[in-house]
Amino acid sequence: MLKFQAINFWGSITYLILALFVLPVIIIISSLFGEWSENWSHIYNFVLFDYVSNSILLVMGVTVVVFIIGVGTAWIITNYKFFGKNVLEWALILPLSVPPYILAYTFTGLFDTYGTANNLLRDLFNLQSDYAFFPNIRNIYGAIIVFSFTLYPYVYLVSRSAFLNQSQAMIEAARLLGLNKIQVFFKLAVPIIRPAIIGGIMLVSMETLSDFGAVDHFAIQTFTTGIFRTWYGMYDINTAMQLASMLLLFVGLFLILERYSRNNAIYTSKSSTFRPIKLTKLQGHQGGLAFLICFLPVFIGFILPILELSFWAFERNLNFFDYKFLITTQNTIILAITAGILCSIFALLVNYSIRFNKDNFSRHAGSLLSLGYAVPGLILAVGIVQLFTWLDATVFVTSEIVLTGSLIGLIFAYIIKSYALANSSIESGYERISSSIDDSARVLKSTGFDMLKRIHFPLLKTSFLTSTLLVISEVTKELPATLILRPFNFDTLAVSTYIYAAEERMMQASAPAIAIVMVGLIPIIILTKMIRTSRPGKRDYE
Amino acid sequence: MNNILEIFELNHSFDKEVYVLDNINLSVKSGEILSILGPSGCGKTTLLRIIAGLEKQTNGIIKINNKIVSDQSCFIPPEKRNLGLIVQERSLFPHLTNYENILFGIKDLDDKNEIARDYLELFKIDHLKDKYPHEISGGEQQRIALARSLAPSPALLLMDEPFNALDEKLKIEMYAEIKKIFKEKKLTVLIVSHDRDEAAFLSDKLITIEDGSIKEMLDTN
Repeated sequence: MLKFQAINFWGSITYLILALFVLPVIIIISSLFGEWSENWSHIYNFVLFDYVSNSILLVMGVTVVVFIIGVGTAWIITNYKFFGKNVLEWALILPLSVPPYILAYTFTGLFDTYGTANNLLRDLFNLQSDYAFFPNIRNIYGAIIVFSFTLYPYVYLVSRSAFLNQSQAMIEAARLLGLNKIQVFFKLAVPIIRPAIIGGIMLVSMETLSDFGAVDHFAIQTFTTGIFRTWYGMYDINTAMQLASMLLLFVGLFLILERYSRNNAIYTSKSSTFRPIKLTKLQGHQGGLAFLICFLPVFIGFILPILELSFWAFERNLNFFDYKFLITTQNTIILAITAGILCSIFALLVNYSIRFNKDNFSRHAGSLLSLGYAVPGLILAVGIVQLFTWLDATVFVTSEIVLTGSLIGLIFAYIIKSYALANSSIESGYERISSSIDDSARVLKSTGFDMLKRIHFPLLKTSFLTSTLLVISEVTKELPATLILRPFNFDTLAVSTYIYAAEERMMQASAPAIAIVMVGLIPIIILTKMIRTSRPGKRDYE
Repeated sequence: MNNILEIFELNHSFDKEVYVLDNINLSVKSGEILSILGPSGCGKTTLLRIIAGLEKQTNGIIKINNKIVSDQSCFIPPEKRNLGLIVQERSLFPHLTNYENILFGIKDLDDKNEIARDYLELFKIDHLKDKYPHEISGGEQQRIALARSLAPSPALLLMDEPFNALDEKLKIEMYAEIKKIFKEKKLTVLIVSHDRDEAAFLSDKLITIEDGSIKEMLDTN
């Protein structure tokens, strides 16, 4: 009987978690089969075209820019040696710590007519007070710049890793066949790593489509702002869900392309023929140009917003650690740590269950769980609100509201959204534990929870900690789901930044924004450490 | 002497087409040391894993101590078969000290420390007890693995190429010492090996497997 119960538990845990994860999405999609209200006709006739065209234009623009920045800088860093290369190699990842909405706020603070940059230049050249050096950036082109300079590291990382795995022998063969350095880049190096680049670009596209904070600040009509306005402006959750379903279709398409590219991303040279790329030393103006090309994205995506935020903080005489900031920080820390630990526990249980059961169904179900990262936070929030409203009305009928508006929904959304991060860390930790350890433990009468507690967890402590830190960083940055699901009067750093920025109180926004960027540096540090310990053609744990 | 292990008409296939084990019948008596010899890929490790309960055979019956542990209708998991297992890579738990490794499988809470100390003494590894597996040599790791497997008093000890990772000199030293311990403790042992000399030295009986079937059975005595 005991054996039956144990096998049942470990066999069903993955499916149970999967069912929980897909429920909000199913609720959203089911809205397509419900009634279509008058509001929908209004949206269809007047704004849907804008939502679609703006979203497409945004994604296309960002795709082009991140391709140029991400692939270009990765190629230069991988193939050339120049002044500052060792620092820029990891500094190019730093913009990942700045969420697009924070870059959007700092850009408006910098480049608006009366922004810091224009003020500075006017003072410098003694110009009229209404003269603006920089064009208006509160438009779709400004948004393209904002998304591109915060999200290009996704493409840089995959391209750099793929370029590192290209062999010098292949490049030399191409040169002998008559290709010059530029032709090698366009005709050989880039086409070979195309699947990796497409994978990175798809991730960027999904992030762009999911964003709410930046497009809302720039007043661009996209799907996410449309969903938000339909719900909070028209009070029509059904139409909001129908819009969300459409966005989900777009995201689904990008997700399929990303998965497909990942499956085809074979760009590693066989170890017997592999020769690392020989670095070409660049000096003089060539070295300067290489430095400038690699420094510019770091400057725009990281240094500039940090300078602007620090300037605002300085303007406020660093007096921003007030009671509200401390409470907001405390809320964020509690939420992020809870979500981080729970998410890591879920990932641990699922991976253990897959390892314990060794069946393909659990493995597939486990990989489906990781797709939560692709679901925009706003959509998750809408789905969870509907799910909890239904549960409150049917299951908890005795009390008024149990789940709706509680922190449970928010933590639930964070877990779904961040599961992929936790899973990648726990999964790679598990890959390092030989299956013969499990065999020995089982023969020594240790199984189920006992094996998890006595063998796996102690061996996975570092992976568990990494996973928790990654989720904490992601949760701290998350805005749209938090905005909708947070309990009344419960602010986090991201919400606080959003509210201050929406009220154009940029200086007050600097404190929570700086805190978010600082927390966002955690995964960058982890990532840098991982890159340093890895070698081309070799996995980090070998 | 009663049989500790009995296997009847055992077949095994991973893909239901090609049989890696074909009609295996064998028995191991109490206190007997049996070696299974064969080239790589002949199915000997699979047989060992099936006996341990880490794989389930396609057909056939396995009995341990006269009790069916696996057939078409019953399957007792490894943790309930009362076996010991030593594999080539030794698989000591890296986060535990050598002493904690030995304690791991002992369920007798009262005598736990006494049992562990006895095995530390028996394998002359007392001085290694507070070290971690990565801090000791391959031969020492093998002794810890043996002590860990024997400490819970298994009915049958299974060894899969146990001395493969050791150098020749160390191997020869260990053969004599291990055989002496096995005989003194009257242990029932099943060893899988590809080394005929090792098998002949250590065991009372020797079985050769080729292409999944038993080809030869020898009494080394």
